[in-house]
Amino acid sequence: MNVRLVTDSTADIPQDQAQVAGITVVPLTVFFGDEAYLDGVELDNMSFYSKLQASKELPRTSQPSPAAFQEAYIRLINEGADAILSVHLSSKLSGTYQSASTARDTLPDTVKKIPIEIIDSQNISIAMSRSIMRAAQEAKEGLSLPEIKAHILDELARTRILAVLDTLEYVKRGGRIGGARAFLGNMLSVKPIISLKDGEVIPVEQPRTRSKAYARVAELLREMGKIEHVSIAESSEGFAEQLAQAIKTVYAGELSFYKLGAVLGTHTGPGTAAIAAVIAKQD
Amino acid sequence: MQELTPHTPGVRLQRLRRITVFDGQDLKKAMLAGAASLEEHREIINALNVFPVPDGDTGSNMFATIQAAFRDVINCDDTSAGVISARLAHGALLGARGNSGVIFSQILRGLAQGLDKKQTFSALDLALALDEAQRLAYRAVIKPVEGTILTVVRETAEAAMASAKRGDDLVSMMQEAIIAARQSVAHTPDLLPTLKQAGVVDAGGQGLCTILEGVWHYVRGESGQVTNASLLTSSTTPILESTVKKGRVKIEEEFGYEVVFLLRGENLDVKGIRQTIIDMGGVSTVVAGDEKMLKIHTHSESPGKILDYGVGLGSLLDINIENLQEQSLTYAAESEAEHAAEEMQPVTHPIATVAVVAGPGFERVFRSIGVTAIVPGGQTMNPSTEELLAAVDAVDARQVILLPNNNNVILSARQVTGLSSKEVFVVPTESMPQGIAALLGFNFEADFEANCEAMAEAASHIQTAEITTAIRTVQVGGVRVREGDFIGLVNGNLVIAGQDIEYVIRETLQRMNIERFEIVTLYFGEGVTRQQAEDTARSIKEKYSHLEIEVVDGGQPHYAYILSAE
Repeated sequence: MNVRLVTDSTADIPQDQAQVAGITVVPLTVFFGDEAYLDGVELDNMSFYSKLQASKELPRTSQPSPAAFQEAYIRLINEGADAILSVHLSSKLSGTYQSASTARDTLPDTVKKIPIEIIDSQNISIAMSRSIMRAAQEAKEGLSLPEIKAHILDELARTRILAVLDTLEYVKRGGRIGGARAFLGNMLSVKPIISLKDGEVIPVEQPRTRSKAYARVAELLREMGKIEHVSIAESSEGFAEQLAQAIKTVYAGELSFYKLGAVLGTHTGPGTAAIAAVIAKQD
Repeated sequence: MQELTPHTPGVRLQRLRRITVFDGQDLKKAMLAGAASLEEHREIINALNVFPVPDGDTGSNMFATIQAAFRDVINCDDTSAGVISARLAHGALLGARGNSGVIFSQILRGLAQGLDKKQTFSALDLALALDEAQRLAYRAVIKPVEGTILTVVRETAEAAMASAKRGDDLVSMMQEAIIAARQSVAHTPDLLPTLKQAGVVDAGGQGLCTILEGVWHYVRGESGQVTNASLLTSSTTPILESTVKKGRVKIEEEFGYEVVFLLRGENLDVKGIRQTIIDMGGVSTVVAGDEKMLKIHTHSESPGKILDYGVGLGSLLDINIENLQEQSLTYAAESEAEHAAEEMQPVTHPIATVAVVAGPGFERVFRSIGVTAIVPGGQTMNPSTEELLAAVDAVDARQVILLPNNNNVILSARQVTGLSSKEVFVVPTESMPQGIAALLGFNFEADFEANCEAMAEAASHIQTAEITTAIRTVQVGGVRVREGDFIGLVNGNLVIAGQDIEYVIRETLQRMNIERFEIVTLYFGEGVTRQQAEDTARSIKEKYSHLEIEVVDGGQPHYAYILSAE
């Protein structure tokens, strides 16, 4: 069975890795004023953050159009796909999942009918990138769509993301805030730790300093129990390494490093560092 | 009282009269004499501070506690010693203020246990009760320190026991006891070096001794009828104004009276009661709590109607009625300032936090980081156990974390854990910055137990420095202080004194090894302008360029600056 993987640019899977793994990445769009950039395609990580810091106005982001998804699906079908697994960021944070669903449901009759599964990961960025990479690997190994789907849902459910922000300013302006609004009144400067729960942003803690925040992330990681894998991401150079140092005593396994892309960066700001931990299966 | 005084007419007695038993009314009168003695010497006891800083005054705290002890006793004619002692203990338990107040309340509790079910008591009964009292006093403190009120109550109880075992009557026994108490107080500086350095005896010990002096006067038959006005007007507990949200009320809307009280009852219906009060014309009505205890706050032109309604539902506690026209100006100003922070605070959580806070700026900071309720108080105004209990009972959560934010409030806070039906944990924060750190460490995702642990951990990493003015001349730990000097304290210990505030701040920072920290928060107090605080921050930054310094309006009384480093 030839299962093909589709995701969106918020998975923060680097272009070359996606290409090798055979994953189709549909980009979201980032707007600086009237200028529109396709995330990860027309705007790389470095130039995004320098634009972000230079721009007075906060960029806006927008989900891919159903047409963009249809184009991707049709291309894969024409390439001989037997099934498509399309995995996206939390539907509570973006309309991307909705857009992909609309695309599937409105495919023209002329297109060959194959199963297309669209998954709301309830996660974002590194909290879904490894799962998608593994799914792509399983697809290459010839596993069936139901098998791959079951595995990825299981892994996504075991994944926790913790992000340390430099400031709440971007979360506040971006509005995708969920329960983290509890942090917004804070009169003191803090390095807030936020997470996702049921696909929504939730507040965790509000340490005053970055080193404390990293130490807390390590502690929270320890409290999660046995860890299968950890991914680390940063918005700017250096932060991921510091965070990796901080969690070294708690987690000695393999680490995957990523860059936080423009969409997430718009909502979390420069100076963000995050980990996504896949908690080991309990058996 | 059964007097067996040998009557020898015409001869002035050199010997003491003999009393074999006391009843409840004797106990009440003896304790009233003790309270009167404490009231008379309260200021002297207040002055027995080790550090020359304005802080919780032991004399006033103990007096407030004994005042509370009499709340249900003053008009009680019961002659049972068991009943009177139990009522004294209960009142003191709720009204306990400050560490000495809490320990004193435990002494009364021990007495009550010792006299339980006794109509009258003998010298031996009293000696046994005193032994129980000293035992409970020691148990009230996690790390008992000798040279304090603990030593005094123990040595007093030992002397009483020895005397009772010799077969002495109550008068002789009390004489032995008071002599032991005086000696014990005099020896406190030998046991506690900080007392010796400061050249004072222990204030709590002196307070207890002063109460015993009054008791001794009564037992000896020297004090006549005790009529003490301030005891008869039972202590009006300052109401927890700040636990009630201030609405953004326009001045012209202010009318009538603000009515605040606690309602204790069974199966109280929060919504129904709120609606009824609104229907009765109550404005800005807040009804919070659970089916057993509600805090009610409303504005009404006829407060009597509201109270009558309350009485029909259960018993009323801590009733406070204020004329709003009189206060509306300040009220409106405060409400504007608070509103900004409050607008962001709608998130409810199954775990509530209650903090003891002094200063409008600190209140805003605590609210901004999500504290559920605030009990006003701190350095010079230690809230009573009852006030803390009321705040804990009034919050809409079954699990409550209490932040005392002052060394002298921790014990009263701990009492709450045994009094409230809720699950209460005290994070023993010794300063407001520690309280803030604890609150910032509150994990929204974690359960009660994990949060208690995490918050205590977060608080323990905070260093607090305070800059204030010395209220008297003294030498402590090698630091010579003249009255009016600026003094610097690090985690409660005096480290420097001087006439130039900049110098004192600089030296204080140096002694806390400020260079090893990342962020310093400078809370400026009453009487310091933001400009002055910014200038101070700039000069700190010049010396320690790696530090991030945040200047915050704390508005705290007495302390020009409170500074936290982490």
